[in-house]
Amino acid sequence: MDSRSTKILVAIVVLCVVGAGAYIAVAALGPNQTTTDAQPRAGAVLAHSDLMVRAVDPKAPTLNGRVYILENGHLRKEPGDLACERVYYAAGHGICMGVAPSGVEYTASIFNSKLRREHTIVLTGLPSRTRVSPDGRYGAMTVFVTGDSYLSSPTAFSTRTTILEMATGKQVGQLEQFKVEKDGKPFDAVDFNFWGVTFDPHNSDRFYATLGTGGDHYLVEGSVSKESMVVLREGVECPSLSPDGKQIAYKSRIGNEARWHLRVLDVATLEDHAVAEERSIDDQVEWLNDDTLVYSDGTNVYTAPADGSGAPAVLVRDATSPVRLEESGQELAHSGR
Amino acid sequence: MYQVEASKALLKPRLWARTPSRLNVPRNVVMLGLVSMLTDVSSEMVATVLPMYLVFTLGANPLALGAIDGAYRGAAALVQVASGFASDRFRRPKEVAGLGYGISAVGNVALIAAGNTIGGIGAIVTFDRVGKGIRTAPRDALISLSSSRAGLATAFGVHRAMDSAGAMLGPLVAFGILLVAPARFDAVFVVSTLFAILGFAVLVLTVQGKPKRAPRDPNAPSLRSAAGLVRDPRFALLLVAAAGLSIASVSDALIYVGLQRKIDFEPAVFPLLYVITAVIFMAFAIPVGQLADRVGRVPVLVSGYALLFIVYGTLLMGSLGYFELILCLVALGGFFAATEGVMPALAGAMLPEKLQASGLGILTTVVSIGSLLSSLAFGALWFAVGLQSAVIVFAAALALAIVVAIPLLVRSQRAPLHG
Repeated sequence: MDSRSTKILVAIVVLCVVGAGAYIAVAALGPNQTTTDAQPRAGAVLAHSDLMVRAVDPKAPTLNGRVYILENGHLRKEPGDLACERVYYAAGHGICMGVAPSGVEYTASIFNSKLRREHTIVLTGLPSRTRVSPDGRYGAMTVFVTGDSYLSSPTAFSTRTTILEMATGKQVGQLEQFKVEKDGKPFDAVDFNFWGVTFDPHNSDRFYATLGTGGDHYLVEGSVSKESMVVLREGVECPSLSPDGKQIAYKSRIGNEARWHLRVLDVATLEDHAVAEERSIDDQVEWLNDDTLVYSDGTNVYTAPADGSGAPAVLVRDATSPVRLEESGQELAHSGR
Repeated sequence: MYQVEASKALLKPRLWARTPSRLNVPRNVVMLGLVSMLTDVSSEMVATVLPMYLVFTLGANPLALGAIDGAYRGAAALVQVASGFASDRFRRPKEVAGLGYGISAVGNVALIAAGNTIGGIGAIVTFDRVGKGIRTAPRDALISLSSSRAGLATAFGVHRAMDSAGAMLGPLVAFGILLVAPARFDAVFVVSTLFAILGFAVLVLTVQGKPKRAPRDPNAPSLRSAAGLVRDPRFALLLVAAAGLSIASVSDALIYVGLQRKIDFEPAVFPLLYVITAVIFMAFAIPVGQLADRVGRVPVLVSGYALLFIVYGTLLMGSLGYFELILCLVALGGFFAATEGVMPALAGAMLPEKLQASGLGILTTVVSIGSLLSSLAFGALWFAVGLQSAVIVFAAALALAIVVAIPLLVRSQRAPLHG
């Protein structure tokens, strides 16, 4: 290397270091929030509907959004301190999965009926789905894990689903380690992915979930205590049990695309029917009551009749993650103040 | 263990001395290592934040990442052989490698300018992989041509250690930036671009394009002579041995999936699996390379593959403790250290000077096709007979591949290649 090359290289190094330092400094001092201040707006007022939702910023769809309470169909103005990307709550225990304030990792907060954080869990990937059993005993969280495998190229993405004991925030199971049976025989493959857990309202040990392998998506029924699952049928993603436990709402893939139609199936007969929602919906549906579904398209929260009649209606604008509240929203929201 | 201790003492003066020390790693190799390190910092920074960025900025379902990833692999494999031959044909390994590094740097700039659609990001990531595919064979040829035949494994060891250091630093730099400027992915992309430009500048300004073993023959090699390499008695033996060994090696990604099914640790432990493997690889790449140059490359390479038996053994155990897990990861890191640099060193020593890049390109492609077949076979076996039996089949296949490879490799070392 001659002295001219050395000088040029030194100049480039200095320019790069100064440039990088300056850009980082400006970025650090500029707007860099991981939580949006966006606020949901009321859509159609449905009396007697008490919901929890999370605000969506229409400009940056998945920044942490604050958790809002819908009381008797009306949206409370001020949010709580909780902010995340996915929220669920039942019987005094809630999960809020989002980006940590540092912005470099994902965390889940376990919160109580006063909407106060009790435990914080570090997540290993992007928040995808979360549910709490109706009795508040167990919680389930699904994250997307993107492979950063060394040397060989990453195995695209995979999901990881854990079961928590809500009172302690401790992990009690990991679906990837549960035994699976199909047609009475053990069933296993390298690309097993589980997501979208829903708990039986009458027995929280029992749950349903999706098993994805190859191009297939199976509905599985499992037991937390036995650490096992059984394949029930094909073509079901993100199952959600109705409050009476008799029906499962789910998303049904259109061809092999990442597009889904909503359907409802009868748990006893496994027969199913379409829902009057024509658009593609990528959400784990929630039940407002035994006859009404509530779900989000990523921007707004909609309701639709579970029997396939009628048409969808906007319930809350700029919100996702709707959660039915058994107690009145008023009680939940004010107890913490 | 004593080699590590010894090499640590020797490493410092060697890497930074202006004149080659008694370990004799040519300056060109160290500079190429630096280029790879800077480029890897750049690309790993982007790879680390890309999933977060997609979700944050585009609200995209991470499923879309799967497609990007698939595009990744195919693109890199296709261009490898072609760029190797082009580099030999025009006798410009530095310029062809420079084209590859340049393409990746341009891709980084494009990410800042146009990285706001899924399609755009997919195209840019594919672009980056094409750049990687173009530069690999000519760069390895430069490493080989810059080193004496006797010091090839050490030279490749130094390069691979620096390369993996970059891959480890990348995520740290990206996280560091996001820590002071949360959610500012643009800052990550800008700094990543600067690293890519630095890497390119170091290549252009410091790397010698006509190193000491560069071909002096005035006739450019023909496509026919490059294709003829696969029929060359010695190189063909190496290719067959390499293909067999890579088919019998379960990819690290699948090993991690297997470990995850068995371990009841906190999920937060999982990312550490990659880190431990990479650190071991980095620490052992140089001393193992020196060992290979001293005692012979074939025994070191074969021992590296034999380390996989420990990994397979761990996967067969009923339950795993921390001790077994660490042992497994150390064995896996050791496997990379003993194979990643030693395999191209074997090829570099037997290939004629004027066909170095073509030969190394062919070898890399054979190994990656072998790995792809291995992954498909392992997945199919896992599904058909379960993880345990799949691992047993692969352990048997590995034993067979090693038994077959030893005589092939030994014979490939005998007579010098004509040409």
